[in-house]
Formats: sequence, structure tokens, C-alpha cells
Amino acid sequence: MKKGANEVLFGLYDDEEILIKAVKQAKADHLEIMDVYTPFPVHGLDPALGLAESRLHIAGFVYGAIGCLFGFLFMTWVFTRDWPIIFGGKPYFSAPAFIPITFELTVLFSAVGMVITFYTICGMGPGIMNPTLDDRITDDKFCIAFNANDASQETLDRLKGFFSSTGASEVQTKSI
Amino acid sequence: MNQFTFESRQKVFLAGFMGLGLLCMVLTIMFDDEYLTRFWSNYLHNSVFFTGIALMSLFTIAAFTTAWAGWYSQFKRIFEAYSLFLVPGLILMIPVIAGLWGGFHHLYHWADAESVANDPILQGKSSFLNANWYTFGTLIFMGIWIFFAWKIRQISLDEDKNGTPDWNHHRRIRAWAAAFLPIAGFTSAAVIWQWIMSVDSHWYSTLFAWYTGASWFVSGIAISIMSLAFLKSKGYYERVSEEHLHDLGKFLFAFSIFWTYLWFSQFMLIWYTNNGEETVYFFQRMNEYPVLFYGNLALNFIVPFFILMRNDTKRKYGTMIFASIVVVFGHWLDFFLMIKPGVLHTAHEISGHHGAEHGAEGAHGATDAAHHGAEHAADAAHHGAEHVANAAHDVAHHAASAFEAGFTLPGLLEIGTFLGFFAFFLYMFFSNLSKAALEPKNEPFLEESYHHHV
Repeated sequence: MKKGANEVLFGLYDDEEILIKAVKQAKADHLEIMDVYTPFPVHGLDPALGLAESRLHIAGFVYGAIGCLFGFLFMTWVFTRDWPIIFGGKPYFSAPAFIPITFELTVLFSAVGMVITFYTICGMGPGIMNPTLDDRITDDKFCIAFNANDASQETLDRLKGFFSSTGASEVQTKSI
Repeated sequence: MNQFTFESRQKVFLAGFMGLGLLCMVLTIMFDDEYLTRFWSNYLHNSVFFTGIALMSLFTIAAFTTAWAGWYSQFKRIFEAYSLFLVPGLILMIPVIAGLWGGFHHLYHWADAESVANDPILQGKSSFLNANWYTFGTLIFMGIWIFFAWKIRQISLDEDKNGTPDWNHHRRIRAWAAAFLPIAGFTSAAVIWQWIMSVDSHWYSTLFAWYTGASWFVSGIAISIMSLAFLKSKGYYERVSEEHLHDLGKFLFAFSIFWTYLWFSQFMLIWYTNNGEETVYFFQRMNEYPVLFYGNLALNFIVPFFILMRNDTKRKYGTMIFASIVVVFGHWLDFFLMIKPGVLHTAHEISGHHGAEHGAEGAHGATDAAHHGAEHAADAAHHGAEHVANAAHDVAHHAASAFEAGFTLPGLLEIGTFLGFFAFFLYMFFSNLSKAALEPKNEPFLEESYHHHV
């Protein structure tokens, strides 16, 4: 969530099943959901929101492939050019011996690269404050948030009507 | 449709392939050498491959049940039906055992009294590698597996009729399954040493049992994917969705990598240590079986890894069936590579000392390769000396570099025999599957399985 004054109207739900029904209802009513917050991954929420499949794993593959090549070429360079040492009578270029480190670097590049990408996309990082709408959405509440910037009273009433009809336990407005 | 009917058309189709397998075996015998090396190694290879898949299917049920897995309970009868192949598997092993006592095959170097008498290594191993251990190990361990397979099947069938809401049957299956896991772990290792690893009697590897077990497990998963796809195409298992397929795909993917991990661990440790008595195993395979040696990695690692890496390929029948076929065939080749070189070596060894007695008689069929070997012997001995002097003796025996169908590469007869055994396996599977409801009624996790979502 970006900083800056943002009026947000949000409703809290007690159960993920009610949440999914509400999300589907919002889609049917053509209400533009700003975001949905849940304390844990909810099955079926992504298709209900109509979110496209994440492309993070493609990034992961690219990072992994880079790590794989880097590991193997680095080992090759070290043991054939930079600092050749004979281990157990093996040739300098001993591919099987390079495999474990190649594997480790593949995993390392892939994992670290995906974490950095994910944090960057989500605008998270050390020292960045991310205000929550309500602390309970990290515990036991499920939240649907609407952007209420410059919303007319008519729109606000419509959204509130939506929350009460879909069984939200609380409806609040917050400026973040 | 909760009841599978084994149509006569399917029976005829499978019986046709079984006939093809038999024909191939007969042809193999007709054109074989005096020890029937090719026939017996094919027989052992296929029997062990499919019996192991049956064992690993039982292991799958045991592991899934113990882990409270619910997603697979709709089609757990598939694994149950596979595990019942242990009974024909035991019958398939009996000729091998009988041959050990009757001396009509020379699959195992340690079974040849003359070789053992002149070989301190084989003498040292003779307390485990002997006909008694082989016979009673196979019979007792397989008896235990069959008992567990039968027991779990019986409780599961009884649950259909007398299942209660208090999970009584499921708890009993869980108890048997949990008891089976450690038993399966230890007995499978012992049996793998006897059946497969002792083919190379001088050689040993502590990772071998895991590696072989992983091979069986992946093949079992791949065959169950194919069976499920077939049954779905016939209109059975309507509520098995791509979600279940996705999870099976993850198993196929993950255990292909697991297999590769074990394969490479075994290879790298031996390569690094460079002990002659260990490296000979790989030296022989890399030099005389290069196509299979590297093809093994390509089929069992590279193909499933790149095909199944993406999310959507694990959810489509086309890609999954393709990957499964590659993996089953690849692991069958893996077993080929485990068994054939050792058996061939033993045949040469025995024809060597028997040949001295019988004169020219010993110089037939498989022993041709030994003659090839003789031509290259000097060359191979030179290579061997470069590595370890110890290895040179073994390698020089048959360093034939020309590929020979049936020995260094599977020939048409091997493929035919494989198809015959596969058809037999599927025949038993379908006939066992038709004896019970496809979905276990009253299974507590059935509802979870219907709603499974990855």
C-alpha cells in the first residue's frame, strides 16, 4: 500500500466462506475492489477476484538459470584458470565435483531473487512502514477494501449497503 | 459409475500383449547362448521391476495414510489394486529361486560354487549372498508384504460394507500402515541387495537400495497417472479433477528429482573416492553402455524436470501422460542398466572356467562378447591401469565397445518382453480393480478428496 492520504472504506468478515461469497457478489455488482486482506491464503480467492496467474515463478526460473550458469562457470574459471589445484588426482575440469555448488547457487539465486522481486513489487522492505487497515486482519478477520477517495455519498451508501447485505461484521473508514 | 467393469475387449487386448511377451521370451530362449543369459536377465529385470512397483504402491498407501493425506482417497483403490500384484510377483520370483538351486541360470556370480571357491571377496560375503538367504529372504519378506497388502485391502473392503462414523476401519488401516513403513524400509533394502545389487557381486553401495526404491516409486506414480487418465477417459472417476492430477504431477516431478539426487550422490561419492572395487561399476557402464548411461539421466531427470516444472503442464492429461510414459520407460532402462552388465560379466566369468572343461563348447552366444573383449583387452587393460589396477582385471574381460542388442542396448525382444510383463501387470490391476467399488465408500477422507484444491 502506497503512502499518502487515501480514504479507504473497508468491511470485516468473520469467515472465509462469507468473504468469497461477498467477493463474487461484488464482481456481480460491478464494484471495484481495491484489495482483499486475509490472515492466511484462502483457496479460490484468486479466481474469484479474477487475478491473473503470478509471473513470479518465471522470474524464479530466470534467476535459477542465471545461478546455475554462474555457479558452473565460476567453478570452471576458478579451477582451470584462476587457482588450479589437483584434488585426488582428478582433472582440473571435473564437472561432477562442480554439480553440488552449481545446484546450491541455482537454489540460492532463485530463492533470493524471487524474494527481492516479490518485496519490490509489493513495495515492502526494511524501514518501510505499511499501515494496516485493522490489526485483526493479520489474526482472524477477513477484509474487503474499497477506494473511497472523492467518493460521492451515493457511492458510499451503495458500498455500505453491499457490506450489510453480504454479512460484514464491521464497516469502517480509514485514511491511510 | 462406481464399479469398474473389465471388458472382454480390454482383456483380449491385454492378453494379446501378454502373448507377444511370451512369444518374445520363447524367441529369446531359441536364440540364446547355452546359459540363457539373455532370457534370464530379461526375466529377472521385468519381474523385479513390476514387483517393486507393487511394493511401492503398498508403501504409497501406507505413507499417505500415516500422513493423514485425504486428497487421494477417491482413487486409493488404484494403489490397492497395484499392491495386490505382489502375489503374482512372488510367483514370478519362484523360477529365479528355483534356478538358483537347480543351477539353470547364472544370474548371480555368488551362486556359482566354483567362482566362490577361488574368490575371497565372494567368500567374505557368502554369509549373506547364498541360496538360503536369497530363498528365505525373498519368500519371507514378500510374504510379509503380501500379508500387509491383503490386510489393508481387507479392512478397506470391509469399510465399504460395515463402515461406521467413528472411523474404526480407518484407524485400523492407519495402525497397519504405520507398522508397515519401517518394515518396508528394512525389508525392501535387503531384498534389493539380493535381487539386484548382488548381480554385481563384488560391488556394493549403501545408497543403492534408496536409489532403486525411488525408481520403483516414480514408476508407480507414473503408471497410476496413466491408469487414472485411462479410467477417466472411460467415464469413471468423474470427481477426480485436474487438482488431483496436479498433485500426482507434483509427486512425479519431486520424486524424479529425488531419484536424480540419489543417483548423483551415489555416482559422485564413488567417482570422488576412486576406489577400484567401486568405480568399476561406473567405469563399465560409462564406457560400454554410454547411450543408456546418459540417456538414463536425460529420460528420468531432464525430461520430467522441464516438462513438469510449469504449473499448467501438471494439470493437462496430454503432457502428464507423455511425461509418465517417458518416466516409466526411463526407469525400466535404469533397471536394465542395473542388471545386464553384471549378469553379462558373470556369464563370461563362468563360461571362462567352464570353457576350460568343455573346450570349444564354452565359446557360444553371449561369450562372443568375451571374444570381442579379448580383442580390446590390451586396450582396456591400459585404460584400467590408468584408473586403478584393480579395475583393469574386471574391465578387460569384456570391453566390447560394439553395441549388442539385448546386452548393451534393449533389443526388440526386450521391448516385447517388457510389453508382455506390462500387460500382465495391467491385467492383474484391472481384474483386481473390478472386484471392488472404485471409490471406497465410508472412507472418512472421501469428502475432503472431492473438494480437494491445490
